[in-house]
Amino acid sequence: MKPEKAQLVVDGLKEAGVDFTAGVPDAQFIQVYKMLEADPDIRYVGTANEAEAAGVGYGAWFGGKKPALILATSGLLVATYHLARINILHEVPLLVVIPYRGDIGDPRWMGLYKKTTEPGLNAMDIPYRVVSRSSDIVRTIKECNESARAWLRCIAVILNEEALW
Amino acid sequence: MVARLELIKELASIVPPDVLVVTSIGNNSYFWAELTDREATLFHSTLGMCTPAAFGLAMALPRRRVLALDSDGNLILNLGVLGTIANENPTNLTVLVMDNGNYLGSHKKEPGMRTASGGKLKLQEVAKGCGIVSSHVIQDVATFSTTIKSALKSDGPHFIRAQVEALDTERPPKTKHVLDPRENKYQFAKYIERTEGVQILGGGLGNFG
Repeated sequence: MKPEKAQLVVDGLKEAGVDFTAGVPDAQFIQVYKMLEADPDIRYVGTANEAEAAGVGYGAWFGGKKPALILATSGLLVATYHLARINILHEVPLLVVIPYRGDIGDPRWMGLYKKTTEPGLNAMDIPYRVVSRSSDIVRTIKECNESARAWLRCIAVILNEEALW
Repeated sequence: MVARLELIKELASIVPPDVLVVTSIGNNSYFWAELTDREATLFHSTLGMCTPAAFGLAMALPRRRVLALDSDGNLILNLGVLGTIANENPTNLTVLVMDNGNYLGSHKKEPGMRTASGGKLKLQEVAKGCGIVSSHVIQDVATFSTTIKSALKSDGPHFIRAQVEALDTERPPKTKHVLDPRENKYQFAKYIERTEGVQILGGGLGNFG
């Protein structure tokens, strides 16, 4: 991933007012995690797994933070139990940002995530947008977070390889 | 061993009203709801989510005391959070685990099935091994009271494992409407807004965020 593309993700989070992030580092998004950890305006908490990250983000929202989870497609699977509770039962807004490993065009053995990512979000009743152009990254993250906070719902932004590479 | 109800009664009498309490699902939530009348409680955190939620709250509000009223099965699902807490070092956080060594013992007339802490796992040693220096195990009301009072007055993070009986044979009478998760969300968020001067709710007018 080129640093300037990672910067666009961080810029989008800042434009959205996100000030608290949690997740588990992933090879596809490692530059984003490193930038967040170094950024003085956005608190990044590295958790032991993605379900823990969802719980931490949920608690941070009640403390007045504007939280986002930065999750790999595999991590979304780990987070599903807590995310489903948070979105459907509690109706607490968490922005979920996901690099789309396993989308069509991915040359690695990651096709399983095509079967789990979007259907999984649909099953959890989490609306999402797929971003395919890097020029749309900042605007889409901002819009999705605005809707999440207004609707009191989790919303996901999925960034595919065309947008990130 | 001591009954969960005795400890929660004691807790209700010593926790100051402005301490934010995050309770795990089941009898921790129901007993706490029956025995207290306070806005500063976030109820019904499901398995694996109680201590992470309390930790996130403590990170967001570093000048406010936060207490996780967790249970063994709930914490064990996300035990790695103790390592995260140790590294982030939220000095305002106390994690209290009502450890009955049992899945489903809290609301059945006979024990359910053993948790790892009902076997060889010593949660206080795990917490210490994760790097939480202030880690305690208690088995009686007097020590419990002293330990909680000390934790709520000193820098943490603190971890307290309270070993309670496998079954809750004593229960408070059901006299109250226990808030459902959404009612509780609005009540708790409004309480935080009022006492901390932050905006949590109120989106949807096009000028938010």
